[in-house]
Amino acid sequence: MSNAVETTTGETHDGVTIAPEGAARMFHPLVPGKALPGDWFHRIVPANIEIGHNVVIDSSACFKHFFSKRPVGLRVGSNVTLCRASLAAEENGLIEIGDYCYIANASLVCSERISIGSHVLIAGGVTIADSDFHPISPAGRIADTIAISPLGDRTHRPKIEVRPVVIEDNVWIGYNATILKGVRVGEGAVIEPGAVVLRDVPSLARVMGNPARITQ
Amino acid sequence: MSRMNLHRTYRDNDWYPGGIPGNVVIGEHVYIETSYAFAPCLAEDESAIVLGDASGAYDQATFVLGPRARVVVGPYSVLNCHLVCEQSIRIGGHCMLSWGVVVADTWLERDWPVERRREYLEAVIRHPHRALGPMSTPRQVVLEDNVWVGFDSVILPGVTIGRGSIIGSKTIVEEDVPAYSIVVGNPARLVRRLEPDDTESARADAFRKYLRPGGGFGNVRGH
Repeated sequence: MSNAVETTTGETHDGVTIAPEGAARMFHPLVPGKALPGDWFHRIVPANIEIGHNVVIDSSACFKHFFSKRPVGLRVGSNVTLCRASLAAEENGLIEIGDYCYIANASLVCSERISIGSHVLIAGGVTIADSDFHPISPAGRIADTIAISPLGDRTHRPKIEVRPVVIEDNVWIGYNATILKGVRVGEGAVIEPGAVVLRDVPSLARVMGNPARITQ
Repeated sequence: MSRMNLHRTYRDNDWYPGGIPGNVVIGEHVYIETSYAFAPCLAEDESAIVLGDASGAYDQATFVLGPRARVVVGPYSVLNCHLVCEQSIRIGGHCMLSWGVVVADTWLERDWPVERRREYLEAVIRHPHRALGPMSTPRQVVLEDNVWVGFDSVILPGVTIGRGSIIGSKTIVEEDVPAYSIVVGNPARLVRRLEPDDTESARADAFRKYLRPGGGFGNVRGH
């Protein structure tokens, strides 16, 4: 978007191209520690995020489940669009997003680390998680249901396995696809809608199904 | 109208005005995010829904119950799912049913011809609540204790899931699942067995370790 500053219809603010202020304006520049103008969701954008140039977001509701306490819990490159995405970083979570990504209403559920490269498209309904949310062992799950019950202590839960997820550059992820812990999606791969990805995806592969397998 | 509309419980801070029907039997320290969960509940039995102690019905929990339906949920279970019931769904204690999950005790019979399906839909518009009603003879669904159903999975009529098992995300379960198994995929397949380590002593230990002293965010009183 080299013509960002030259646009005549859109407002430019620090080189950010967006529609003029008004009811039809869907996106706002993402600025750490600031409230978004006219936001329907009342949350200040967290301060512990690092944002490049020309990054826009629709609402602070994207941060509803952002609880990262790291110095930087979200790192975003430049020219990125975040539209209704849920950036659910837990206390120790770090979500990294490269340049020119478009993330639609996907959920990124991050206990430790989810890294997304550049020129990545993530469609609606996608879930990417670096843990299984609960322990696998039956005894661990008994303990977890007690910890998350109305009588439990949610800040103190049994340990779960966490394995970071890496989405390399130029990957496109289709509607309602699911990418689970420990997966690396190789450069240029395509995840078809609805796929459930449990294993690494090689570069330029196209995968579909549950569990996802390589097509073509 | 049925008597379920009598004795409804209305809670402050509930965005939905409908209230909790009087035939929901609620244990101690239960959390119900909103009474909207019961909006599609037409059950008439005087204890149609039983929610065990310290269980929770979170934002997506929905009870789609016909007039004769009965649902029992054990203690410490977490519901964030749709329960579609004409007869009986039994969920044990310490179960977790994630967002987007559907558990149904009735669904289309395989031998219904198109004509019958048309008649069925035409009958729906004559019902005052547009209730779909049973499409087949309902078949009880049972989730034994400590079953975890991952998001967007579907548990179909007649299925029993054995104690301690895990159903992976987006799995469609049409057949019984043995205890302590991991089942994933579509079609579902058994991929692993689990060590049955959820003994009574492990459970007692967990209570010692993970209860919050003096706490509790239960928001409905047991009755």
